[in-house]
Amino acid sequence: MPATQEITERLIRDNISRAIADVFKTMLGRQPEMCCREDNAALSWPPVPIESDAIPQVVGTVGFLGDANGLIYLYLPVPFARMVTCHLLGMTEPELDEAGDEVINDAIGELTNMTVGSFKNGLCDAGFPCKLTIPSILRGSNFCIEPISSAQRFVYCFRESHHKIVTDILLKTGE
Amino acid sequence: MRNKILTVDDSKTVRIIVRKAFKPYDCEVLEAANGVEGLAVAAKEMPDLILLDITMPVMDGVEMLTKLKSDPQLKGIPVMMLTAEGGRDHVLKIAKIGVRDYIVKPFKEEVLLEKAGRMIELKPLSDSPSKVRSIFDPATILVVEDKPAIIQQIQEGLKHTPWKIHGLSTQGEAIDFCAKTPPDLVMISLSLPEDAAFTLFRLIRTNVKTKYLPVFGLVVKTETVAQQQAQTVGFTTVITKPIDIGDLESKVARAMNLDTSQRYFAIENSNLVMRLPENPSAAVLAEITTYLKPKLAEAVDAGHNRAVIDAHQLKLLHMGLIKLLVLAMQTCRDLSVQFALVGNASLIAECKGFEDTRAWVFHDTIDDAKASFGKPAAPVAVAPAA
Repeated sequence: MPATQEITERLIRDNISRAIADVFKTMLGRQPEMCCREDNAALSWPPVPIESDAIPQVVGTVGFLGDANGLIYLYLPVPFARMVTCHLLGMTEPELDEAGDEVINDAIGELTNMTVGSFKNGLCDAGFPCKLTIPSILRGSNFCIEPISSAQRFVYCFRESHHKIVTDILLKTGE
Repeated sequence: MRNKILTVDDSKTVRIIVRKAFKPYDCEVLEAANGVEGLAVAAKEMPDLILLDITMPVMDGVEMLTKLKSDPQLKGIPVMMLTAEGGRDHVLKIAKIGVRDYIVKPFKEEVLLEKAGRMIELKPLSDSPSKVRSIFDPATILVVEDKPAIIQQIQEGLKHTPWKIHGLSTQGEAIDFCAKTPPDLVMISLSLPEDAAFTLFRLIRTNVKTKYLPVFGLVVKTETVAQQQAQTVGFTTVITKPIDIGDLESKVARAMNLDTSQRYFAIENSNLVMRLPENPSAAVLAEITTYLKPKLAEAVDAGHNRAVIDAHQLKLLHMGLIKLLVLAMQTCRDLSVQFALVGNASLIAECKGFEDTRAWVFHDTIDDAKASFGKPAAPVAVAPAA
């Protein structure tokens, strides 16, 4: 069994980049671009600003368990999350208003599930078999998620028109 | 009987996407949010196909699949995995339990439909029964023909219709076109090189979106082998060149199941007007005959008890037309509908020459015919003496 330490930053970056591209293109017909490496390196923590006027976020989370253990947070600004939900479900904005936040949560949960699924399938094929967990959703406009100290953190930022999508990958170190 | 598709997924979003994908097809989509619910619905409804996710609360997809396959009643139901759990080893492990196909999310609706269409009959829903498509509704017809003159002839000949005729010269272009915007009818030249017509026909019939499209073959009369081959493989009909545009139009209307009655029957000022075209072909006469009784009955039902049989455009009188006119008058009598005939000078003269039609009384115009209804002794046509 390969050790988790063998999962390189390159493997993670390639996998998340491919996963985002696959999911957003197939399900939404969109092609978010990963911000250049310098931008990502300089990305300050937390990935979304904690300010009184910060854009509210919908954050989907799905974990993976097995020879590689970790979880991924997918941050989407609420206006983009609404747009994504309308597209996925063939709904209009007024219909979405009527349906409520629960529908957005479910849609973003599934989008996260697909993204993390695609990411972890890459890990499986690279020799780290693992399984997905059930998605969960976090909502808010003024928060930050802190990992435990033994986790490795990889943050990548993508842009789709004027929207910013953030993937926050936490990988548990050790065998 | 409608096919039943059971989608088992804890994500409502996926269940909605699945429902949306199958909406244009005559099938019922059932839903379950986990393996326990899935097994219960499967036992109760006996679906024709199950789409199964893996990661779900309560009971996951692998457990549900295992239980399903060990149940003698349910093990025959085809299962297609629809899950974000990919990875070669994982897929192989699940395939061994017994699944018919495996789709890894993210997925395109087209892929889902194509794979499902291999396991169950996906018949497109026709328009609702109350909204039958009419001859005046727009439609798209694709003509795949490597001779531009034929495409031009069809476009020119059908330009009076609301149908949009797209001409393409190769099989590849036609496949792309059908994938993008499935037409309402396809005409393929049987003389395309390398048997391309038959290859294209097979591809059309294997694609779930075009499976039920009417497909016409175009060929010269002498190519009897190609005609026979087309009929054997299931082309809707074969049109021989040179093309008789009137005949083609009738066949297109019939193949697309269009209501053409409005061409021949209309209610004008409370009168039913039945119009015969200038030179009706046998196919047109058959069409009018089919509509005759229902249209007259519909008019009577709506309170219109007078009919004008307008034959003034007719150029020639022949036995088929005489039969139709006799039938029209008899149907009017059966339904107690007062009727009047309108004809031109040559038709009137021709009618005088036949025993059966000699006594028919014609008016010069529709207005004259309508006016005749108000008169006590209106010059109503009478049946020929026995």
